[in-house]
Amino acid sequence: MTKDIYDIAIIGAGVVGVSIFNDLARCGVRVVLLEKELDVSTGTTKANSGIIHAGFDAEPGTLKAKLNVAGNAMFPEICKRLHVPLNKCGAYVVGASEDAVDALILKAKKNGVAGVKKLGRKELLTLLPSITENIKYGLFAENSYIIEPYFYTICLAEEAVINGGDLFLGYIAKKITKKAEYFVISDGKKDVCAKCIINSAGSQYNNVAKMLKAEQYKIEYRRGEYYVLDHSEKDIVTSTIFPLPDKMGKGVLVTPTVSGNILVGPTSYVSEDDTKTTDFGLNDIRQKVSNMLTNVNLGKTIRVFSGIRSVIGHDFVIERSKKVPGVINIAGICSPGLSSAPAISRYVMQLLGVQYKPMANCKRIKPYTRLSDMSNSAKNKLIAENSDYGKIVCKCEGITVGEIKDAINRPIRPITMDGIKRRIRPGMGRCQGGFCNDKVAMLIAKENGIRLEDVVKEKSGGRYIVGNVSSKGVR
Amino acid sequence: MKYDVIVIGGGPAGMSAGLESARNGSKTLIIERNPYLGGILKQCIHNGFGLHYFKEEFTGPEYAKKFISMVAKEPKLDVMTNTFVTGIDGTNVEIMNENGAGKLTCKALVLAMGCRERTAGNILLTGSRPAGVYTAGEAQRLVNILGKMPGKEVVILGSGDIGLIMARRLTMQGAKVKAVLEINSTTSGLRRNVVQCLDDFGIPLLLNTSIFEVVGKDRVEGVWYGKVDEKYNKLVKTKKFMKCDTIILSVGLVPETDLVDMPLSRVTKSVSVDNYLMTEKDGVFACGNFLHVHDLVDNVSLESAMAGKFASMYAKGKLIKSTAFNLVSGAGISYVIPSKVYNVEDKIQIRFRIKQKVTKTNFVIKNAKGELLAKKYVLASLPGEMQTMEIDGKLIKSDITVSVEGL
Repeated sequence: MTKDIYDIAIIGAGVVGVSIFNDLARCGVRVVLLEKELDVSTGTTKANSGIIHAGFDAEPGTLKAKLNVAGNAMFPEICKRLHVPLNKCGAYVVGASEDAVDALILKAKKNGVAGVKKLGRKELLTLLPSITENIKYGLFAENSYIIEPYFYTICLAEEAVINGGDLFLGYIAKKITKKAEYFVISDGKKDVCAKCIINSAGSQYNNVAKMLKAEQYKIEYRRGEYYVLDHSEKDIVTSTIFPLPDKMGKGVLVTPTVSGNILVGPTSYVSEDDTKTTDFGLNDIRQKVSNMLTNVNLGKTIRVFSGIRSVIGHDFVIERSKKVPGVINIAGICSPGLSSAPAISRYVMQLLGVQYKPMANCKRIKPYTRLSDMSNSAKNKLIAENSDYGKIVCKCEGITVGEIKDAINRPIRPITMDGIKRRIRPGMGRCQGGFCNDKVAMLIAKENGIRLEDVVKEKSGGRYIVGNVSSKGVR
Repeated sequence: MKYDVIVIGGGPAGMSAGLESARNGSKTLIIERNPYLGGILKQCIHNGFGLHYFKEEFTGPEYAKKFISMVAKEPKLDVMTNTFVTGIDGTNVEIMNENGAGKLTCKALVLAMGCRERTAGNILLTGSRPAGVYTAGEAQRLVNILGKMPGKEVVILGSGDIGLIMARRLTMQGAKVKAVLEINSTTSGLRRNVVQCLDDFGIPLLLNTSIFEVVGKDRVEGVWYGKVDEKYNKLVKTKKFMKCDTIILSVGLVPETDLVDMPLSRVTKSVSVDNYLMTEKDGVFACGNFLHVHDLVDNVSLESAMAGKFASMYAKGKLIKSTAFNLVSGAGISYVIPSKVYNVEDKIQIRFRIKQKVTKTNFVIKNAKGELLAKKYVLASLPGEMQTMEIDGKLIKSDITVSVEGL
């Protein structure tokens, strides 16, 4: 029996794994991406601040500094290629200490970050009238962007798939065996063979490293909790506002989002590897944000969430395994992991000895249909062709049946309710799906030819409904 | 087609407003987002509707049907279903449906969009965020409209009426409702619902109790819950675990004010109106649960009929305004509607809610000099119950105050 052998298998479909998947596929490498969940971008990638940092915060000389600055510069072009919204909203860092601001500006210089300027309280007050009296100094960095990290990752993965990359979702690697020429990965049902393995499993890094017999690291999990505020608050800030950083990270920030909400958070404290929210964390944010800005009304919260970042020492771990040739270890990708992701991918390609040279005939993905971006005449043209575009399902975000069907019939078909939410937003609004969950679930069932009972929210055991009402019931 | 009056929302409020506007001779249109009229009544298959309005007891769909057939027979009343209003500008509305996106104009607009449920995010429910957390209305729609069960072992947070009704409904469908947790010391639902939906089925109602933490990875696996103090601080020592696969939230309703660009009341979370139920925007009226969350649909129908009548009068240029006076919430009153009143010939209807339970007392309405204009005796009354009083419009010559006597 001859085995189909991939050049490279990537384990873990967060933004890092997917970025590498995308570059390799577009360069014509035989690559497979394995993900244990039912969609890409369901771990750390979906639950962070969604900021492409300018790079002034990272310690000069580290991989973080180098890859953040390089990654930041790559986003505009990639997002344009993928039709992913990227908003250059800029970032302020504000606080009481002039020394701390000067230190950041010096770091920015050392890291090669352009477009950073120092501001005094007077200038700050005209730009940010809602700062508290604690705020005396600050800086503004123009090269700071906001993005929907999950949507970006989904589009990257779709592009990789249409260019020949293979993606296995719901694939839980259980055993990895090293043969002379290649590795055999098994989930107990299906074997995947590859000459090289990239471990980009994020918080699950050590589990995979163990199977590979590669280097394991002491990973510290830090939980970041957030508040999401209603669209009604969207004008309270138009740039990202950071406090001065501390040893646990960039601090509790307030930022607009691409979708017109406001994000407040994160906390940063050592925790278990789980994404629960806590009274402790939410109160901590409440207190910290009130020290910085006076106009943040947490009473307008529509959602709280948390994400986990994996921290190993002070820098990313991105290396060829010394123990197991053919394995690339990627671990400890905490902030600025999203900002660095495109550059991490190129760095990994260097480690693999693959030249970044996209195929001449690379395919492009189609943009998602978004009626909210259209004029009435454009909407009417679309509705005339297909009345599904005139049927609103999600009233809060104004999403139609047509848009949801389009989001399902893509190169990667979402089969979960959260998957639809990440792509096209039904359920992300102020009613949080109370009005549309059932309709979205029914569309998923219908378009994918499955039973409503088999539609899950996110994880394979998270069914939306459990069965029919009994025959003695209402009908 | 040109309309004198457009009503947004085809639930009980919208139907009643639309009917009354058309009966007063105005060409009227009701815009409804669902394929059918009736709004939330369609999923309220329990009884208890109509005792005040029709002097007869109906289920929600039956109550809706009464109005739907009246709407169908009303020659000056049109209905546009499957249509979303995507924007409001003065009395102009932007709409979208399967025929396209467009704009409709009218002389008077009635806002009857109802309310939405507060969510896990709104109440900062902590813990994990697995599948199996529903608002009560969502669960009700699943069971009563789609015939699907949300779960088997249920904890209900909040004792709003829909939560109580769903406790009984799910129990009757074979689910185990383990408890209803209420953060306050009294239920927020009607007394009759506590008796008929919880007591009769042996479902425990735990007062001063809330969920501390949701547990579960893929699907809800249980809750940590316990007692709270009067400031809602969680008393950690009372923390206990309850296994369940479903959490249903019945933690309050908020008027659907998304499309409205007007200042909102801190109490009702909606717009302010005068005694014609007209908002601070000329020609824009408000009624039903959009204006304030009602206890009984009968009251929604009655209030909304007034809005329809006044909208029609406005469209004809017959609404008379004079000097405006404020109607203020006095001692023991949490809010009063309207907030602005004119000196008029007719009687003015006043609706309000009290802050705390009262027994054997009077509700009193007084003018700025402290002179009594109206009075109503109550044997016992709860904050959840909506109160109504009438006052002679001719007597209004200064700001007036509603209060609970003796407070």
